Amino acid sequence: MKPAAFDYCRPASIDEAAAALASSDSAKVLAGGQSLVPSMNFRISQPSLLVDIRDVEGLDGLEVDQDGVSIGASVTQSRVMNSDEAYSAVPGLRRALRFVGHLQIRNRGTVCGSLAHADPAAELPALAMAAGARLTVRGPQGERTAAADGFYLGPYWTGLEQSEIITGVCFPAEAPGTVTVVDEIARRSGDFAVVGLAAAFDLEDGSVGGARLVSFGVSGRPQRLAAAEEAVRGFHAGAAGDGLYGAAYEDAADAVGDIHASGEYRREALGSLLVRTARAVSASNGGKAGAR
Amino acid sequence: MTSDQGSREIDLTVTINGMEVRRRVPARLLLSDFIRDEVGLTGTHVGCEHGYCGACTVIADGDAIRSCSTLAVQVDGSDIRTVEDLASDGELTPMQQAFHENHAMQCGFCTAGFLMTLESVDPDDYREPEQVVELLSGNLCRCTGYQNIVKAVCSVWGVEGRRRDSQ
Repeated sequence: MKPAAFDYCRPASIDEAAAALASSDSAKVLAGGQSLVPSMNFRISQPSLLVDIRDVEGLDGLEVDQDGVSIGASVTQSRVMNSDEAYSAVPGLRRALRFVGHLQIRNRGTVCGSLAHADPAAELPALAMAAGARLTVRGPQGERTAAADGFYLGPYWTGLEQSEIITGVCFPAEAPGTVTVVDEIARRSGDFAVVGLAAAFDLEDGSVGGARLVSFGVSGRPQRLAAAEEAVRGFHAGAAGDGLYGAAYEDAADAVGDIHASGEYRREALGSLLVRTARAVSASNGGKAGAR
Repeated sequence: MTSDQGSREIDLTVTINGMEVRRRVPARLLLSDFIRDEVGLTGTHVGCEHGYCGACTVIADGDAIRSCSTLAVQVDGSDIRTVEDLASDGELTPMQQAFHENHAMQCGFCTAGFLMTLESVDPDDYREPEQVVELLSGNLCRCTGYQNIVKAVCSVWGVEGRRRDSQ
């Protein structure tokens, strides 16, 4: 339960960090380390070089304006969760973060680190997809941006190249009439979700005009629920939930079974979670549903 | 520090319980092992070693963190507090005293972690028993069933009322 030996560096600039990362096939970025260090303790991960980005200039910004919330790579989850400005611009952030580990983990873990780690049961990648977040990525060839939707390819697998670093993420401000909800089913507070849902509902007169629905913890990656997004149109608090339930069940056809739950259980639980969530949001008529 | 290759050993300066500590340590050394083995403060306990149980909780620059999931090099320049910093001259803090009076520990292995989590927060943010329970959810205790721990915390922080759920 100790990490294997590795080299460590703490560059001061993003160019040095990118160069260090490119110098070895098994170099890893170290931000908060709250997923990486435990996996190194287990020796599931044995990087040859850790590139600690704590001293890299320009990564510690948390900026909120009318466009949304921009979060630099070294900004901790606690800092975002405790920001009232970030909450009022993008309420989904606080709603997702309260499920992320515990206080002690959020105090060091970073939002961008979670987005890069791509645990299939993690809340933040799913929220980033539902909210239409964009990642800023820096590599040897310079900077690019990438939509979170489409970035997640499989378990712990993203569109990030080995020598690239996520330097920041921008969550667009929640539009008027939109309600963003994150909810999950887990055995204990702080555990990884057995089934989770990040959802952005566009409400029109108490019914759902459209939605971006993303499951997590169900299959090998956060996943848009295409059939459910169709089925949820026109949903209102008094609507029968069968059609929506069935659509989510179909969307989750590749649900995985493991020691915590069977694939069948996950499909059923996702359907129930979605219907329950859509009802609560419609009933609130665009108010504070999902606020916890 | 070297630039793009890095090094296996790092010079480290931290303040632990008000005392400055300088050491050259392997990069792979965990903060929990640094505190226990290098500095000799064994009040910080190591349970699961993967960030789950909370026994190793210490305070870094005011924030409760998991010392088993943090490399020592990550807290270079930080101010660290461990359970040894709580009581002074043999006199327990009110929270330690309340743990004693409410039988909020049995084997005591988890106690340091609970105390450091509690020490790190502002009691004004926790006015309902449910909030206290959620705060403590990051620390596992396998003896007490938690009831007496919650009771101890509520008595010190003046949190009143019954819990709405019975989880």
